[in-house]
Amino acid sequence: MSKTATALDVTSLTKVFHERGNKSVKAVDNVSFHVRQGEVLGLLGPNGAGKTTTIKCILGLMRPNAGDIKVFGESVEAHYPRILKNMSAVLEGSRNLYWRLTVWENILFFAGLHGVTSRDNKAHFEHLVRLFSLEDKRDVEVRKLSQGMKQKTSVVCALARRTPLVFLDEPTLGLDVETSLELRAVLKQMASEENRTIIVSSHNMDVIQDVCKRVIILSQGRIVADDHVSDLVSLFETKAYRITLLEPVPEGLQEALASRFRGATVTGDGTTTEVKVNLLENDDIYVLMDILRDRGAIIDEISHEETDLEKAFLEIVRRERNNHESR
Amino acid sequence: MNLGSVFVAVLQRDWAMMKRYIVNTVSSLVSIYIIFLLIFLGFKSLSGYAATGALEGTMEGTVIGFFVWTFTVMAFSDLAWNLVIEAQAGTLEQLYLTPSGFKWVSGCTLLSSLTLNFIPIVVLLVTMMATTGQWLNLDFISLIPLLLVTVLGAYGVGFALGGLALIFKRIQAIFQIFQFVFVGFLVIPQRVPWAKLLPLSMGNSLIYDVMVDGTRLWELPIGSILTALIVGAAYLAIGVTIFSVCENIAKERGLLGHY
Ligand SMILES: Nc1ncnc2c1ncn2[C@@H]1O[C@H](COP(=O)(O)OP(=O)(O)OP(=O)(O)O)[C@@H](O)[C@H]1O
Ligand SMILES: [Mg+2]
Repeated sequence: MSKTATALDVTSLTKVFHERGNKSVKAVDNVSFHVRQGEVLGLLGPNGAGKTTTIKCILGLMRPNAGDIKVFGESVEAHYPRILKNMSAVLEGSRNLYWRLTVWENILFFAGLHGVTSRDNKAHFEHLVRLFSLEDKRDVEVRKLSQGMKQKTSVVCALARRTPLVFLDEPTLGLDVETSLELRAVLKQMASEENRTIIVSSHNMDVIQDVCKRVIILSQGRIVADDHVSDLVSLFETKAYRITLLEPVPEGLQEALASRFRGATVTGDGTTTEVKVNLLENDDIYVLMDILRDRGAIIDEISHEETDLEKAFLEIVRRERNNHESR
Repeated sequence: MNLGSVFVAVLQRDWAMMKRYIVNTVSSLVSIYIIFLLIFLGFKSLSGYAATGALEGTMEGTVIGFFVWTFTVMAFSDLAWNLVIEAQAGTLEQLYLTPSGFKWVSGCTLLSSLTLNFIPIVVLLVTMMATTGQWLNLDFISLIPLLLVTVLGAYGVGFALGGLALIFKRIQAIFQIFQFVFVGFLVIPQRVPWAKLLPLSMGNSLIYDVMVDGTRLWELPIGSILTALIVGAAYLAIGVTIFSVCENIAKERGLLGHY
């Protein structure tokens, strides 16, 4: 398979849940996307956006109402369950593991279900255990591990199945900073060295920004953004500046700024003044400086606010909500 | 399909669990033995009654009934109970990701349960025989195929109830009752016309012939063996069908991971 082969094609996926009293929830609403082999895709969205439902429909754990799902070009529905040889997953919220078995026994069991035997893959299993620093815990029952170690073991068990496509629904839940960094490193390595395709859902923007080149943002069951992380971030790159003055609010500053920059704010506490301005064009910085100099302002500090994925995400979801409500 | 490696994986899992929770295994066998002992002592105190033949088969029948019942209940609970427990624990969805299909994982679980429980149950049987002084024929070549045929019906019931439990969570309350319904299937005498059509019943009577009369498998009436096999297979087929229907509904409503 070439590096650009498509690993996953989702076309017009729709899933409706019927609740008591004829109420129905469109958990996934006409969602389409494609993932190339070796890609690490981030799935973002507020609670209830439909991330887990999308993943479970792809895995055949839920039956979609409509839509077509292909894995490496083969229809999931037509080739179920054999098609699962390509897929493994860490599922959100559930245990994923036998708590009464040891780490190693869990690995052997779940890999064995995928036909990956310890006879041929022992070195790989040991490698995974080392990658996640679980060597000391190899023969400890899972119920005796900490939350984060359990989570890591779930990820190891999914990776041990050696499937080209891996789904991780909230894998960083309960991980401390260091462990989360460790997981990120492993995921990046898996994608680049083993050419695995990984789909990660997380509420942790740092993780997504770090490991995924591309993200899909879901909101109320629909895709509201599907782009490279860097493009999304630059889309919302605002030239927001904050300037602190060492004096009470200079006379006429508010009016002068407001007439030139929409939404500029000036606040003062009697001894210092804080100015917040969104610059639109590159030359605007000079205009701003001119206005300040004309009023003889004493500048203490100028800072520039960075845009990151989190800001972009919040902005996209907020706009989407507003659109939805005004429709 | 990698059924071989699925079976090995399941067997290793169950063996590890059994070793780690040996106390549970032993205590469940001991409690079955204690129930048996109470019944046996009851019989002895009514010894005149037993001789009247009012209860067919009397002591031998009771020993064999307990032996088959233990097998049946183990098979049943490995299916139905495990399904509920795995759905609650969250491992069920992981089992559903098996490329050979969940039903085959269940099938392997049953085989592994038979394999691992065989020796403990035979030990129980020998203990029961020693207690009663009724030494029965342990012709395993004849017994093992008959046991397999007999428990097919229980597997069917296990699949059906397990499937229903995926959708109707409360149904697990009746699992316990079914363990006693099985006793009913085992004690209904063969002369009742429709008894043959119940799960377990025919197979149990063939096992009786082997263990009490020393009949070999190939000496048994072929019609009876076929009846037992067809009835067992029919219950299994119905059970698996009910399970599939329930599984579809569960996937429709997204219930596999919710408990
Ligand atoms: N089994 C179910 N039965 C009924 N409704 C469901 C079921 N599973 C999910 N839903 C509904 O579908 C919608 C999408 O849920 P989903 O779990 O996919 O969201 P999510 O994006 O994974 O959210 P989170 O970030 O909280 O994990 C929600 O409104 C949820 O209530
Ligand atoms: Mg979710």
